[in-house]
Amino acid sequence: MARDSEREEVHEYLLLNRIFEEKVLEEYEDSGIPELPHLSIGQEAVGVGGTFAFEADDWLAPSLRTRAVMLMRLSLRDVVTGMYGTKSSPTEGRTTQHHLGSSENHILGTTGLIGSHLNVAVGAGLSARQLDEDRVTGVFFGDGAATRGEFHTAINYAAVEDLPVVFILENNQWIEETPAMDVIAVEENISEMAGHDIPKEVIDGQDVDVVLESVSGAVERARSGEGPTLIEAKTYRYRPHAEVIPERRDEKEIEEWKERDPVHLHEERILDDGLVDEEWIEAKRAEITEEVNSAFEFAKNDPMPAEDVMYQVYKDTEIDENGGVVR
Amino acid sequence: MTELTVRESINQALAEEIERDERVFLYGEDVGDYGGLYQVTEGLQEQLGDDRVFDTPLSETTLGGTVVGAALTGSRPIVEIMFGDFLSVIADHLINYAAKMHFNYGDGTSVPLVVRTTYGGGDQFGLHHSQDPMPWFQNVPGLKMVAPATPYDYKGLLKAAVRDDDPVVFFENKQRYEVSGDVPDEDYTVPIGEADIKRRGEDMTIVAIGGMVDVAMEAADELDAQGYDCEVIDPRTVMPLDKETILESVKKTHGLTIVHESAQFGGMGGEIAAEAADEALYYLDAPVKRVAAPFTPVPFAENLEQSYLPNADDVEAAVIDALEG
Repeated sequence: MARDSEREEVHEYLLLNRIFEEKVLEEYEDSGIPELPHLSIGQEAVGVGGTFAFEADDWLAPSLRTRAVMLMRLSLRDVVTGMYGTKSSPTEGRTTQHHLGSSENHILGTTGLIGSHLNVAVGAGLSARQLDEDRVTGVFFGDGAATRGEFHTAINYAAVEDLPVVFILENNQWIEETPAMDVIAVEENISEMAGHDIPKEVIDGQDVDVVLESVSGAVERARSGEGPTLIEAKTYRYRPHAEVIPERRDEKEIEEWKERDPVHLHEERILDDGLVDEEWIEAKRAEITEEVNSAFEFAKNDPMPAEDVMYQVYKDTEIDENGGVVR
Repeated sequence: MTELTVRESINQALAEEIERDERVFLYGEDVGDYGGLYQVTEGLQEQLGDDRVFDTPLSETTLGGTVVGAALTGSRPIVEIMFGDFLSVIADHLINYAAKMHFNYGDGTSVPLVVRTTYGGGDQFGLHHSQDPMPWFQNVPGLKMVAPATPYDYKGLLKAAVRDDDPVVFFENKQRYEVSGDVPDEDYTVPIGEADIKRRGEDMTIVAIGGMVDVAMEAADELDAQGYDCEVIDPRTVMPLDKETILESVKKTHGLTIVHESAQFGGMGGEIAAEAADEALYYLDAPVKRVAAPFTPVPFAENLEQSYLPNADDVEAAVIDALEG
């Protein structure tokens, strides 16, 4: 269990994640957001607990749905302007915040191809070894990514080289609109597919304390040279894969998962433990809501970028807009 | 100056760059103790240590992903992909990752990696070990492609590729490892993005890529004996392309012939021809010719493969056809 002050901070991040994404949904339905929302509502404990377990200069490679990495390592203004693609956004509208990379904040950029970041994260681990740097890399990925060769090859190489990488499988049960277990040839735990000789843990992804404890242990092992760990966190998303996709899952299944909501679960625990009271929670909710609303207000009023920003193609060579070298 | 083969010049460039910068390392299948399939990395592991030169699993998926991740986090990795044909496996990491991360970061980050690979036919290795895969990637903004011809350029461009902040795919022609030439003893680089005029001439511009530079030079000698004075341009960097040097030459010679080993259809020749049509049409006195492979996989049988590959006779015929109609 984390220290008391850290438990409060963890709860603030859970609230931030939830309030932020509920606002995204509201804005998307109300007036539209250029970036199509792929919400993580319901599975925030994995991202928040997972991210919290790393040091600030450890590298993190988020999945499409690890919004927590972005919210915990970037400013709200960067995240929201990133969704609108406005002038003040981190890449001035070149890309959405879904896949944004930031060397400053040690977020590894990703792509729109689910799972292609797994070996990239292993490369960051290889880099740490080559440069003799004491940092660990965490990579979050979904159950869909686990069906790719990337998953097996990344774990094999990390394991054979004992690289400081923590693999966090966010098993939210559904691969887009297909039940994961319909297309994965194991009985219960997806992590069983990886036959590699590395420590594996299957954990309750709805309980942020469990996630934090498990990932912290893996980070410690990686940092002390004991190599990678694979953690499978069982969780669930309340929303469809993307907001454009109509919901086709059984309402009963969704309601059952909501009974173990990660934000409520943690809220009840810190209230029961007397760590905070209802007033603290209400005050935090109001404070975060205000910050989120203000970031959206800013983004909606932010001008669009100048067209020349899209010609950031090479760092070392100047080219014209048809690919010719400018001498 | 010392006379070195292409193989030796690459080996030296690797050793010098790994020694020069502690962020540089070389890895890939069999590159360690064995010295690589083509023995290009022979002795490097012993010389530099197995922490700087090391073997990997066969998985190109791992190589493609890890080389990007290492380059994004402070290393300057060099990976060997045994055959250019296998770039198809790492195409995702090259196209969607390496080429696009500079665009996808707000803080100027780029991806300083080098992928070294072999390409080209002539060994009867068949359809999956003989291709020239450059056209697969010429439409990918953000990626750099280098295909040198001489030992001097091989060494200087490989060193430049390692020092470049962008992702570079370095193409080594299998038939040219034994070609020798003078290479300076001191440290030097050849700038990426700069074409080289390998031979000066007035009657025809021949643009030849990679292994085809030697073919074009041989043809130019034969044509010279027949009274045709050809200029041979080696782009050296295939992407991004130094169009200016090519167009200036076309405006001088009033002719253009392009030679490459990949298929004519969809190849770089079409792109260079279109640039000339766009920027220098009224300077042209002859039809633009392309000498390239037919639109079929690289065949296995000796006579078929030889017929597939462009040679000096093909270049000679194309130039005479253009100039004499």
